[in-house]
Amino acid sequence: MSKIGEYTVLPISIPSTPAYPKRTTQTLYLRPHTPKIPTAHDERSLFVVNVPIDSTVAHLRAVFASLIGAGKVEDVTFEQERKSVVPSREVAVVGNASKKRKRGIKSLEESGGVDLPQIWDRELRRSGSTAVVVLVDAKSAESVLKSVRTLHKSSTKDQGSSWPVWGEGIEGKKNEAPKLGSARYLAHQRLRYPDETVLKMNVDAFMTEFNRKEEEKAKREKRMRNVPDEDGFVTVTRGGRTGPARSEEAEQKKREMEERERKKREELQSAGFYRFQVREQRKAEQGELVRKFEEDRKRVGAMKEKRGRFRPER
Amino acid sequence: MSPLPAKRRKLNQDSTSIDGSQSEANEQHSPPRASNEILASLKPTEAPRANDGGDAALYAGGAYKSSMFKLQVDELLREVAPNYEKRFRGVTETLHKLKGLIEEIAEREAVSVSDATKWLHKSHKITVPFPDPKPDKDAAYKLGYAKPSNVNVIGSYTLRTMVKSDSTLSIDMLVVMPTSIFQEKDYLNYRYFYKRAYYLACMAAGIRQSIQEEFRLTFEYLHGNDLLPILTVKRKSDETKSPLNYAINIIPAAPQGFFAESKLRPTKNAVRPKESTAGENAVLPPTPFYNASIRSDCNFKSYLKLLCSASKSSDDFKDACILGRIWLRQRGFGSRMSNGGFGNFEWAALTALLLKGGGPKGNNILSPRYSSYQMFKAILQFLSANDLVASPIVYELADFVAVKNSGPMLYDGQRGQNILYKMTPWSYYLLREEARASLSMLNDATFDQFESTFIMRTSQPLQRWDCIFHLSIPSQPLSSPTSDHRSIAAEFSFRVAEVLTEGLMDRIKFVDIKGPETSSWSTQSSPPSSLHSSLMVSVTFDSANIDRLVDHGPPAEEKKKAAKFQEFWGEKAELRRFKDGSILESLVWSPGSSYAIFQDITSYLVKRHFGSEVASSLKFTGEGFEKLVPGCGASTKSFETLRQSFIAFEKLLRNLEGLPLQLRNLSPVSSQLRYSSIDQPSFSSGRPLRTPTDVVLQFEGSGKWPDDVVAIQRTKIAFLLKIQSLLQGADETIMTRLGLENEDKPLQNCAFLDVTDDSGAIFRLRIHNDREQTLLERQIKDKSNDHRTREDAVSALSIYKRLFVYLPLHTQSIATHCTRFPLLSPTIRLVKMWFDRHMLGGHIREEVIELLVARTFLRPYPWRSPSSIMTGFLRTLLFVSKWDWRVEPLIIDFTEAMTSKEVDIINTRLEAWRKIDPAMNRTVLFVASNHDTTGTALTDDGPQKLVASRMTALARSACKLVKEKDLDLDPRMLFATSITDYDFVIHVSPKFTGEHRRKEMSKIKYKNLEVQAETGQDIVGDLSIYLYIDELKKLYTNTVVLFHSELPGSTIAGLWNPQTVSPRPLKVNLTYSTRPAGVAPEYGREDVVELDKPAILAEMARLGGDMLSEIVVHP
Repeated sequence: MSKIGEYTVLPISIPSTPAYPKRTTQTLYLRPHTPKIPTAHDERSLFVVNVPIDSTVAHLRAVFASLIGAGKVEDVTFEQERKSVVPSREVAVVGNASKKRKRGIKSLEESGGVDLPQIWDRELRRSGSTAVVVLVDAKSAESVLKSVRTLHKSSTKDQGSSWPVWGEGIEGKKNEAPKLGSARYLAHQRLRYPDETVLKMNVDAFMTEFNRKEEEKAKREKRMRNVPDEDGFVTVTRGGRTGPARSEEAEQKKREMEERERKKREELQSAGFYRFQVREQRKAEQGELVRKFEEDRKRVGAMKEKRGRFRPER
Repeated sequence: MSPLPAKRRKLNQDSTSIDGSQSEANEQHSPPRASNEILASLKPTEAPRANDGGDAALYAGGAYKSSMFKLQVDELLREVAPNYEKRFRGVTETLHKLKGLIEEIAEREAVSVSDATKWLHKSHKITVPFPDPKPDKDAAYKLGYAKPSNVNVIGSYTLRTMVKSDSTLSIDMLVVMPTSIFQEKDYLNYRYFYKRAYYLACMAAGIRQSIQEEFRLTFEYLHGNDLLPILTVKRKSDETKSPLNYAINIIPAAPQGFFAESKLRPTKNAVRPKESTAGENAVLPPTPFYNASIRSDCNFKSYLKLLCSASKSSDDFKDACILGRIWLRQRGFGSRMSNGGFGNFEWAALTALLLKGGGPKGNNILSPRYSSYQMFKAILQFLSANDLVASPIVYELADFVAVKNSGPMLYDGQRGQNILYKMTPWSYYLLREEARASLSMLNDATFDQFESTFIMRTSQPLQRWDCIFHLSIPSQPLSSPTSDHRSIAAEFSFRVAEVLTEGLMDRIKFVDIKGPETSSWSTQSSPPSSLHSSLMVSVTFDSANIDRLVDHGPPAEEKKKAAKFQEFWGEKAELRRFKDGSILESLVWSPGSSYAIFQDITSYLVKRHFGSEVASSLKFTGEGFEKLVPGCGASTKSFETLRQSFIAFEKLLRNLEGLPLQLRNLSPVSSQLRYSSIDQPSFSSGRPLRTPTDVVLQFEGSGKWPDDVVAIQRTKIAFLLKIQSLLQGADETIMTRLGLENEDKPLQNCAFLDVTDDSGAIFRLRIHNDREQTLLERQIKDKSNDHRTREDAVSALSIYKRLFVYLPLHTQSIATHCTRFPLLSPTIRLVKMWFDRHMLGGHIREEVIELLVARTFLRPYPWRSPSSIMTGFLRTLLFVSKWDWRVEPLIIDFTEAMTSKEVDIINTRLEAWRKIDPAMNRTVLFVASNHDTTGTALTDDGPQKLVASRMTALARSACKLVKEKDLDLDPRMLFATSITDYDFVIHVSPKFTGEHRRKEMSKIKYKNLEVQAETGQDIVGDLSIYLYIDELKKLYTNTVVLFHSELPGSTIAGLWNPQTVSPRPLKVNLTYSTRPAGVAPEYGREDVVELDKPAILAEMARLGGDMLSEIVVHP
């Protein structure tokens, strides 16, 4: 089966490991990338579903190289990385050296140096997650899908040992990903205690950035306060002449006031000032009693349904 | 309400007129003509249980504990009542038949003892069940048989107060022997009992022939009293499947009033010594037990009358008796002497007596208007308030003053009987303690105690007692036997009790001694002897005194007392001079665990007083659990050391100068600082603590914190850096490191400071800032945020609340209670170990386990707070096995100040949760305490339903094992877990297991090597496997459920999530790895994909790399 829905199926053979000495295959699903908001690189991009958890750019590069030859992959973006650009917070994650370079170009002025130091030497992908592979040109993208199809045809003939092998051809290279296993966790133990000076600089950078943004925001709000919009209205914003009053403080005050009022009222009522109050109170108590009794009866009924609830243990 | 009493009176009148014939018949009991009528009138007539519906209960506020309690009691009474018609079908006919047969037995001339025995043996092969000592062959008196004066059915069958049970229900049939065969002085020297035994044997001979086909006839001791053999008639066992599982006891009784009551009072002697060496005037020792046995034989009918009249005068008398009966049975009490000698008859008689009188000036203590529950509670009150051993009570007898006796005494003067004559002092004190415990739980207004009062079985030895030991009964009788009748076993147990209570003093609270059970025997053989059997002695410790090493005796000047002390203790007693100058006789025991000391003392006592032969037979049970607690047992010394270090650390922090903000609080949140980590914290200057101790630091409030959660987290780093530099400046020996965490969760705490002091303790400092809560709440409420941001904020808030708000309070409470109950700490550790061994540790938070154990100590009912690790552990497991977490919250009341209203609120909250989320996808366990009434602070991120069910199942099977194995239980069996149930198991290579790590740490190192070794902080590789598991959990959240234990930690077991296993069409956002799986008809012939298990396992293997040795897939 070479296609499932609009996806081209690309099985990858996984070499066996000492702990799990079986040859397995992991299935990648490929298709041309068509995001909701189109970008310039769409026609030379492929959308890959179900990448293994230990995928790195080098891994995918190697896979594509084995299909259409080396040097055709321009860039790989994994699922988490794409998402992290969208939300407001700045959590870019770095995969390896090549990613760093890319990020450096993209968002140096926005988030440069404010991220906390990395505490893992290699990112992992969530199980079943996706990636976008940008190739050098549209033709390469097509030829990838085509070569997969050819492989499918030949594999039906000779029991397909020709599928790309995971992690083949990246060992010993310069940009080889850090090892997994105990080395990874040892590295983590080292990385999670970063150098103090680095941290200090990082915090300083973050705070300057944060303060700058806050200031910017304040300025913007101030502008909004002063400038009426086209309908002639002035937007109400926080701050202003009365000085910074925190909204929750106001709420707190309001709550306190209400509480005081309520207490006063209750005191008056509980005193049983009028006869009707006493009567009503008694009635309410009685009602409460009846209600509680009904509740209890229901609960006992429910218990009864579970057999043996009322049978003394033996 | 006013018309009601009138109505009732009328009804009562009616009923008396109906029952008139019966009461008349009861009055004139002697003529045999009437007995038939009695039999007929006592036929089962289903007494309609008053069920006036809800309104009665509504207003029952005072008469019952609560309406809930009343409803439950009603259900209970309905549940336990046997269906008399079905259960006893045909029993009336059988009774009539037996009666006829007995009345037809031919009279026999009185003959000598030897002739009589011979005749019975020859013609019927029946052995006369004579009590010990056996009668003289050449005795002057003669044994005869004559037609009984009366045959009647008595007991709870006639009163309709029977209760369903596993054992056979028995019906008592009374055969009153005629006066013609007795002489007035027969009460002396066992003569009555010999004649009675012969009479019984004659009856057996007479009816055996005619009913042999259908029934089996055996002898048995009535309530285990070997003076009173009876005849039991049982249907032959081929019909056991039918519900007709009952036995008829034929009890010969003495003619009422034949033996003078005044001669058989507890102070009188009725067994004269063979040759009176002391002369005629010597005062003979009293024989209370012997006397009471005769009296009880005379009194059957008068008690029947008493109970009948009580049930007539009080509507709820019968129900009260049933409640008492259940209560006694759940606590292991019964009329049999081996069950304490206080059963339903004694209960009913006591209730009836108190309805008649007992109060000051002859007023009655119970009012006939009392509800069954009030009557029940009043009896408990009566039992717990009086000490009938120290001050016996005599009712309605002016000329008799009771003297202090060895056993308890409640003398019913009108009938001339000590109701409690079968009780031993220890069984009486036990009953009293149970009554006290039950009374205090009935007075608990906060929680419903119905289940612990009536449903739970409290007499399981391993859950009830702290230590149980067996010792064999010596074959030859002890020297100086008392004149009163006592079997060898009974005599021996009295002596053991005396020695133990004197020797163990206040080390133990209660002791119970159970002798060999007497069983029934064939009519053709002689009764089984109690030789070669053993006593079972059970004790509860007083945890405050049990491990005391030095006992102080009397001062040397008091010669008499000192001599007695020496006599008792032998060579162990030694004279010592103490710090305050006093010179006392004293005992010194070698230090050890509480069990070791207890065993030491007990073995010594037994050896000294009963010889080494008996001592060598001693077999103790109970220590096994204490031995399982890791580290040095119950001692909390190393926890104390860590606490000292913490106090020093806090002092150091508070004295730091130059902190930007004032320090408000430094609260420990680690289980190591609340005495409850499985492993005791062990550390020294060269070998620092293995797991850092979590500590939360809070500064005084300030308005200068940024108004943004992420910025707050970053600001914390700045604060920690500042503290770090200050600490290093203040103390050279301190090592600090700043670490990062939660790298992918910017809303959560991102940094901590590890501080290692010179003693080797490591504290992990996190900063608590209370603005986070407001900011996160605002983010959750803000509708303009997208779904994911809000979810993140929700989880961050819940973690914030748990770590910074709940845990400091929790830690404080648990730590306080660990000092209040010395056994709480080791019990928590053992229970945690149980959870860990069964690989539940990663799912159920340790705080939840701590609360489960705290419950056992704080709400111990129906027992008292555990005084040994064994009872604490087993009771906790028992609770877990019974805890129906679907409808029941776990509520811990640390301060004992919760009101029932608060409990109601928590209950309602649980109901609301279940309504919102009936499938229990979010919160499964609901755990509330004073610090968290929401009930979800600890459980909103697990365990899942699957895990919670597994917990219950495991606890259930453990409890079952405890019940089955009883005293033969090997505690280690409870900790063995099986990994066959899991889908796959990952084996960790030995170098990386927790066990390996533990061994490394516990290796004894030389001081000088320690210094040379690396400075601790870098030895971190041994954490790898936990980091690996955490990553797996994160990567495969929806796909697999992983189980692992910290120790030995050599396996990680996993289950596939059944929801992901089924094939489905390919979607981009599936959260697991898939492979094509052909076409599926249920998806309209679309191509589908399925979970790619081998690929996932291969991924796990790649990630684990060198740490794994093997992944095994179970088919």
